[in-house]
Amino acid sequence: MPFYCCLSFIKLEDSSAVDISLMVVLVIALALFFDFTNGFHDTANAMATPIATGALKPRVAVALAAVLNLVGAFLSTEVANTISGGLIREGSGGVQITPVMIFAGLIGAILWNLVTWLLGLPSSSSHALFGGLVGAAIVGAGFGAIDFTVLLSKVVLPALLAPLTAGLVAFLATRIAYAITKKRQRGGFRYGQMFTSSLVSLAHGTNDAQKTMGVITLTLIAGGFQPVGASPELWVIVVCAVAIALGTYTGGWRIIRTLGKGLTEIEPGQGFAAEAATTATILASTHLGFALSTTQVASGSVIGTGIGRKGASVRWRTAGRIGFGWLITLPSSAVVGALASLVARTGLIGIIADAVVAAAIIVWIFLRSRRNLVNANSLQGEPTALVSPKKRKGAKVEG
Amino acid sequence: MVDWTAFLIVLVTSIVSGCLVVALFSLGLRLAAATGRWRRALSVASFAGCALAILYGVYLIIPALHP
Repeated sequence: MPFYCCLSFIKLEDSSAVDISLMVVLVIALALFFDFTNGFHDTANAMATPIATGALKPRVAVALAAVLNLVGAFLSTEVANTISGGLIREGSGGVQITPVMIFAGLIGAILWNLVTWLLGLPSSSSHALFGGLVGAAIVGAGFGAIDFTVLLSKVVLPALLAPLTAGLVAFLATRIAYAITKKRQRGGFRYGQMFTSSLVSLAHGTNDAQKTMGVITLTLIAGGFQPVGASPELWVIVVCAVAIALGTYTGGWRIIRTLGKGLTEIEPGQGFAAEAATTATILASTHLGFALSTTQVASGSVIGTGIGRKGASVRWRTAGRIGFGWLITLPSSAVVGALASLVARTGLIGIIADAVVAAAIIVWIFLRSRRNLVNANSLQGEPTALVSPKKRKGAKVEG
Repeated sequence: MVDWTAFLIVLVTSIVSGCLVVALFSLGLRLAAATGRWRRALSVASFAGCALAILYGVYLIIPALHP
C-alpha cells in the first residue's frame, strides 16, 4: 500500500527531521479523518431527498453516493494554491502556514463537524476547515493574518445568498412541476431523482476530496517531501478518495433525517424539483465564478420546495437552527482551532496532548450518539414524533 | 468585494436551467399518460431533453472534458 511506503520513507529520515515527520504523519492522519467526516456530513446533500421520497432505499442511496464520490475524487486532482481559500494572507508578506497550524485547524474542523453531526445539523465542512485554520492562524500571527473582506465576501454573504438562490429555484421548479403534472403521475419523479442526486454526489466528489488532497500535498510540500508546486501523489489521491467514499457510505443519518424529513414533508415531485435546483445552482456557481456552499444550497432547495407546494409546511424552527449553525460554524471551529494551536505551540508534549484530547472528545461524541441511534433502518419507516410521513405504499418504485 | 454581476449570472442561470429541466421532465410525465402518437413522441422528446441536460451536467463536472 503506497501510504505505508511513505511512512517507511519518513522513518528513514535522519533524527533531526523526526519532529517534522511526526507532524506530517499526524496531519495526514487527521486530514484523512476530516475527509471521512466530510463524506458522511455531506451524504445528505445529495441523498436526503431521494431517501425521503423512497426513490432510493437508504443503503442503496449511500452506496451510490459513495461510489460516485470515489469516482469523482479521481476526476479532479488540481490543488488550489491556498488551502484557506484566501481567508488567511498566505505566502510572502503574510503568514507562513505551518504543519502545526494545519494540525490545529484540522482538529477544530473535525470536532465541529462531529458536533454538528451529533445535533443533526447540515453545516459546511469547508467553513469548518477554514474556521479551524483561521483560529490557528490568529494564534500564530494575530488578527492581522485574516483578510476580513474575503471573510465577508466568501463566507458570510454566500451563506445568505446560497439558500436564497437555491430556495427560489426550488420554489419555482416545484410550482412548475405541480402545475404541469397530474397527481397520479407524480410518482414518476422518483426516476428523475436518481439522476439528479447522482449528479450532486459526483460534483461533491470532484470538489471535496480535492480539498483534503490539497491539505495533504501542501503539508508534504511544507515538510520538504515534495517540491513546491507539485501535484498530489497517486497514493494521496487514492487514500483521499477512499476516505471520503467510506465516510459517505457510513451515511450521516442524523443529517439525512433533518434534511429529508425534519424541514418539510417531501413528495417525489418536490424531491425532483429540489434536486434539480441544487444541481443547477451548484453547477452554475462553480462554473460561473461565484462559489456557493453545497450544504447551504441543498438546505435552501428543501426549504424552497416546502414553500412551493400547496399544503406543505416548513418547520421554520428547524430551519432557524440550521441557519444559526451556519453562522457559528466558522467562529466555533476557529475557537477550537485556536485552543488546539495554543496547546500545540508548546512543543511535542502539546501536540500529543492535543491528539489525546481530540481523540477523547471524538470517542465521547460517538458514545453520546449511541444514546439515540439514527441509522438506515430508522429512516425506512420512520415513526418519529416530529414528522407524520405520508403512506406511499401503493406507489413503490421497483428495485 | 462581492462580485454581484457574477452572482446575478449564477442566479439567472440556475433559475432558467433548473426550471427548464423540471418543466421538461414534468411535461414528459404528463404526456406519457396521454394517448395519441404525437403526444407520446413529445413525451419521449422531453425525457430526451432531460437526458441531454444530465449529460451536460456530467460534462461540466468532469474537468478533463473541458480544458
